[in-house]
Amino acid sequence: MDQRIFARYKASELKNDLQGFDVKKSKNSALKRKNALKKIIANLTLGNYNEMVHMFPDIINYWKIEDDMEVREICHEYIRCLGPLKPKSAKEALPLILKDLNSKNEKLQLQALNTLISVPTSEFYNEVFQFTSDAINRKSQSSNVTKTAIFSLIQLDDIEHNQIFPFLERLLDILDNPNSRPAVQAACLKTLYTIHEKNNDMQFLCLKSNIVFNILSILSKLNEWDTVYALEHLPISAVPQTHSEALKMIEMTLPQLQHVNSSVALNAMKFIAYLLNYVDHINESIVHKCSNSVISLLDKPPELQFLVLRNVILLLLSREDSLLHIDVAYFFIDYHDPIYIKDTKLECLYLLANKDNLPIILNELSQYATDIDTQMSRKTIRAIGNLAVKLGDDSVDDSVDILLNLLEFGVDYVVEEIISVFRNILRKYPERFTDVIPNLIHYSNSVQEAESKNAMIWIITRYYNLLPNYLDNFSVFSSKIKDESLDVQFSILNSSVKFFVRSPSKETEKICIGILTICTEEINNADLRSRAFMYWRLLSMVQNDNSVSNETVKEIVDGELPLIELDTKLDSQILEELELDIGSISSIYLKPVSQIFRLNKSKYLPKSPALNASRRQLEVIEDSSSTYNHERFTPNRSFSDINRDSSSSPVRQSSVQNYNSPAETVNHLRGKMKLSSRSPSKLSRNPSKLIRRLSVRTGLGKNK
Amino acid sequence: MINAVMIFTPRGELLVFKVFKSSVKRTISDIFRVQVINNDNIRSPILTLGSTTFHFIRTTAGSKLWLVAVTRSNADSGAIWEYLYKLNSLMEVYGLTHEDILKDEFIVCHELLDITLGMNGLPMDTELSSVIGKMTLKPAQVLTSSADRSDILASSVTTLGHNSTPISMPKFLSRNSNRSVTQEFESQFSPSNIPWRSRDIKYKKNEMIVNVIEKINVLVGKDDNILRAYVDGTIDITAHLSGMPMCQIGMNDLSTIQGGENAHWTNEDRASNRDAMPDVSGDRVILEGSKFHQCVALDKYNKDNVIWFIPPDGQFELMKYHVSNNLNLPFRITPQVTLTSHGTALSYAIKLKSLFPRKLSAENVVLRIPVPPGTLDCKINASDGKCKFIPEENCMVWSFHRFNGSTENHLNAQTVPTQSIASQSIKQWTRPPMSLDFKVLMFSNTGLIVRYLKVQEKNMHYNTIKWIKYISAAGSYEVRY
Repeated sequence: MDQRIFARYKASELKNDLQGFDVKKSKNSALKRKNALKKIIANLTLGNYNEMVHMFPDIINYWKIEDDMEVREICHEYIRCLGPLKPKSAKEALPLILKDLNSKNEKLQLQALNTLISVPTSEFYNEVFQFTSDAINRKSQSSNVTKTAIFSLIQLDDIEHNQIFPFLERLLDILDNPNSRPAVQAACLKTLYTIHEKNNDMQFLCLKSNIVFNILSILSKLNEWDTVYALEHLPISAVPQTHSEALKMIEMTLPQLQHVNSSVALNAMKFIAYLLNYVDHINESIVHKCSNSVISLLDKPPELQFLVLRNVILLLLSREDSLLHIDVAYFFIDYHDPIYIKDTKLECLYLLANKDNLPIILNELSQYATDIDTQMSRKTIRAIGNLAVKLGDDSVDDSVDILLNLLEFGVDYVVEEIISVFRNILRKYPERFTDVIPNLIHYSNSVQEAESKNAMIWIITRYYNLLPNYLDNFSVFSSKIKDESLDVQFSILNSSVKFFVRSPSKETEKICIGILTICTEEINNADLRSRAFMYWRLLSMVQNDNSVSNETVKEIVDGELPLIELDTKLDSQILEELELDIGSISSIYLKPVSQIFRLNKSKYLPKSPALNASRRQLEVIEDSSSTYNHERFTPNRSFSDINRDSSSSPVRQSSVQNYNSPAETVNHLRGKMKLSSRSPSKLSRNPSKLIRRLSVRTGLGKNK
Repeated sequence: MINAVMIFTPRGELLVFKVFKSSVKRTISDIFRVQVINNDNIRSPILTLGSTTFHFIRTTAGSKLWLVAVTRSNADSGAIWEYLYKLNSLMEVYGLTHEDILKDEFIVCHELLDITLGMNGLPMDTELSSVIGKMTLKPAQVLTSSADRSDILASSVTTLGHNSTPISMPKFLSRNSNRSVTQEFESQFSPSNIPWRSRDIKYKKNEMIVNVIEKINVLVGKDDNILRAYVDGTIDITAHLSGMPMCQIGMNDLSTIQGGENAHWTNEDRASNRDAMPDVSGDRVILEGSKFHQCVALDKYNKDNVIWFIPPDGQFELMKYHVSNNLNLPFRITPQVTLTSHGTALSYAIKLKSLFPRKLSAENVVLRIPVPPGTLDCKINASDGKCKFIPEENCMVWSFHRFNGSTENHLNAQTVPTQSIASQSIKQWTRPPMSLDFKVLMFSNTGLIVRYLKVQEKNMHYNTIKWIKYISAAGSYEVRY
C-alpha cells in the first residue's frame, strides 16, 4: 500500500484518488478507489469534518454505480456522520437510500433504516414512519428488519411524539396475538415500555396477564439479546393479581437464571426479586437457584464480576440473607483481583458478618489490612472497627485484639486508621478497654491526618484521668494549633476548654487562655473565632458575676455523649426502588435512578391485591416434594463449617479427596544452594538506584 | 441503549467512533481520554459524568485496546459489558487485536458493529457463526479461543490444532464470499428458523469436538487450612454438522443422571468411563450452578434434566458449571518461610507435590514465589525443574516443563538482601501469596465425565465423529505463608 490509510487528508487529495471511476476494469484502480473511500471514514473518525464535507458529490456518484457491499456500507456511514451537518446535501442521497431500503437484501435494509433515522429532517423521518407502518405487520419482512423498524419508534418518539400513539396500539396487538413472531414480540415489549417510561404524560406500561404468560412462554425461542429485551421490562409492567399467579411467573422465569449471558441471568433475578413482593412464601429451592446463579456469574470477566458483586450488596441490604445463601469464602479477596473487586468483596464480607462466621471473616480481614494498596488497607481496618461496633459484645474483643496486633505492625497509615476507629469503639464501650488507652496514646506523634488527630485528641480528653501527663500529651497537638486544619483546630479549642472546666488550675487556665487567644486573634477564620468568643464569654460569666454556675458550663461544654449505633441500612423505600433496577447502572452506584439521571421517572411497586405490605412477610419454606429434586442434593455446606469441624486435622476431608496421599516419587535435594544463575540485572548492579526504588515501595504508598 | 461505541489505542488514539444516536458529539471521546485513559488512578470500570456513562474494558489479546460504550440513561450494565466482551472475541476472530492492524482494517470493525448492534445501539446478534455468515469478509482463520479464558487456554487452543493443523474452515463460512449485492440472497431468518443456526449447512465429514476445561481455584491459609477450593468448568464444543442436528449430552452429574430416557447408571458405564479417562473417581458429581448457551432448551433441562440442544455452527461454549465438593486437587504446596538469624533475610523450604495419577503429567508448571523488596539475589537449590530469581518482579520463579504424577519436589532458597535493609521492613512485608500455574491433560478435578453425546438429524442420516478432551488448569491457585 502506497499511503497510510489512517491519516489526515485533504478533500482534493482524495478526489484525485477517486478519479477515473469509469475505468472499471482495472483492478488496481478499483483497489485505489476503495482505499480512498476508507480514508474518508478514517478522516471522519479523526474529526476532519471540514474537509470531508466536500466529498458529498463523489460519494453520491459512487453510490449510483457501485454495487459492492463494502462501498455501500461506507456511503451509508458517510451520510450518517455528515448528514446531520448538511441535511440539504443529504437529501440528494435520499432516493439512493430508499432504493436500498426497498431492496430484498436484509443487510442493506438495516443500513438504510439506520441512515434514515440519523438525519434530523422531516423528509427522512417520514420515510421511516412510512416504512415502519408497512413493515410491522408484514410477515414476509425478515424479523430483523421488522425488529429494527419497531425499535426506530423509540427515536421517532423523541421528535414526533404525537404521531406515535397509533403505533402503540398496533404493538400491543402484536403482543396480544399468540401467532406473532417471538423476536418481534420481544421488540414490541421493549419499545412500548421505553416509550411509556420516558414520556411524562404517560403512565408506566401495564400488561394483561395473558400477555405476560405468553412472553414467559416464548423465552426459550428467543436469542440471548431478545431474551434480555423480553425479561428486562417485565418488572412493574407485569402485575400479578394473586399469590399463585406470581408463583407461576416465578416458576416460568427460574430456568433463565442458568443462561450464560449475565444480562439474562440478572434480569431474571430482577424479575424474581420483584415478584417476591407479591407472594407470601417461596420454596427454599428458589433461594438455592438464585445463589447458585450468582456463584457461577462470579466466573465472568472482572467488570461483570464487579456488577454481580454490587448487586449482591444490594440484595443483602434489602433482603439480608433471605434470597441469597452464599458461603463467605466466595468473597475472599484474591491477591490479583482488580482494586474495584477487592473493594466490593470487602463490603460483602462486612455485610455477611454475623456471630457465627466472625472468626473466619476477622481472620481474612487481618490479612487484607496489610495490603499494598493504602486505600484498601484503610478500608479493611475501618471494617474491622465497624464490625466491633455493629456486632456488639461477642465480637468486640476479637476485633480489638486484631487492631492492637496491627498497631504493632507500626506503619503510619495503619496506625492512623486504627486510632480513628478506636474512637468509635470507645464510644460504644466506654469502660471496657481502658487498659489499652496508654498504648494508643503512645502513637500521638505518628498521627498526621486530620481525622485521626481528632480521634487522638478526643481519646486524650475523654480518658484524661487515666493519663498522668495528659497535658503533655495534649500539648503535642495544641502547641501547633496554627498549622492544623480547621476541624483539628476546633477539636483543640473544645478540649482545652473541657480541661479547664473539669479541673480549674493554673496550668489548665494557661493552656485554655492561650488557645482562646490564638483562636480569636491569630487564626483568621470567622467560625473558629465566634466559637472561641462564645466559650470565652461563657467562662467569664462564671468568674465575674456567677450568673451561671460552673456545673452548668460543664454540662454545656462537656456533656455526656449518646452511645453510637452503626446503621448501614438504606431507607426501605430506596431499597424497593433499587431492586427494580438490578443489573443497571444505578445498581452499581446503589443510588436511586432519579439521583443519577435527573430525567428518569422513579419506579414503584404497582398496587395489587397480592402486594405484601412489607418485605418481612415473605416466608421461606423447606421443600421436600418440589419438582427440583436434584437441588436437594446440594448440601448446605460451607467452607468455613468444614474448616472448623476438622480443627483437629488441618485439612478438610469431606471436600477434598486426595490432599494427604503420599507421593510415589520423591525427588530429594542434592548439592548446595547457588546464587540465581541469571545475569545480574541493571538494577542490582547499581545499588544506590535499587535503594531509592525500595524507599518508594516501603514508603507505604504515601508517595504513590 | 448504547449511544456510541469508541475504540482507542492503549495511548488514547481514537480508531473507531460509531454513533447510534445523532445527539452524541465527537467531543465525548476527548472527555473519555482525559478522564480515564490519561488518569492513572482509575479505580472503577465504569464512569458517570452528568448523565453520560462510560462502560469500558481492555481487549484481552494483542495490544490492550480500549473498548468503550457510551450511554445516556440508566442502561443495563450487564448487557453492555457482556456485549463489549462479545465484540472483543469477534474482533479477535477477525484478527483485529493490534492497533496497527485495526488502523488498516477498521472498516471490518465498522461492519461488525453494524451487524451486532441494531437501531438505538441495541445488541441484535452476537453468535459467532451467524455474525460471520452475515459479514462480507470471512476471518482468515477461525480461532477457538473465547474472551475470558484466552489466557489459560491460549496453549490449549494450539493443541487443538491451530498450530499444527488448523481446523479447516467450514464450508458454510467460506460460502457467501460473493460480495456483489446484485445477487441478492434470501433473508436468512424465516420465522420457523432457529435464530442461531441457518438451515443449509452441509459438511462432507460430520464432526463434533468436545473440550471439558476446568479451572481450579484454591486458596490455602497460613496454617495449611484450605480456605477455599472450587472449580469453574466449561464445556466447549466445536460442531461441524450438516442440517439441523438435535444433540443431547449426558454427564455423570446427579441431575442429568436422573433425567433422560437412558438414565441407567450401571457399573458397566463406570468401567467404560474409567477407560475413557483413567483414575478419576468417576462417581456422581454435584454441579452447583450451571449456565447454558442460548441453544440449550432451558425449560426442558429444568423439567426433565436433559441437556438438549441444536448447536450453532462452529465453535461455542455449551455450558459453564461450578463445583466445590469432592474435588481432586492436582497439587499440594507446603511452604516454610522463616526469618534468618540476622533478621534481614528470609529462608524458604518449599515442598511441591503432584496429587494426580502417575500415568499423567502436568505441563507448564510454574510456581511464583514472592521475595521481599530489597532482595539483590537468591541462593537456590531445587530438586528438579528450574528456579530463577527475577529482580524486576521481586519473585523467584520455579518452573517445570513437565511434572509427573504423584511426584514430590523440594526447593530450598535464601534471599540475599541489600546491606542497608532494616529487619523491620522485612517483618512489615505484606507477603503476597505464592501462586501456581499448570495444565494437566485428561484429568478432571471434579471427576466430571461426558457419558454420552447423541446427534440426530431427521432428514439426513450420518455418523458423527466425536472427539473429547479434558483439560485441568489453574485458575487462581494460591498459598499464603
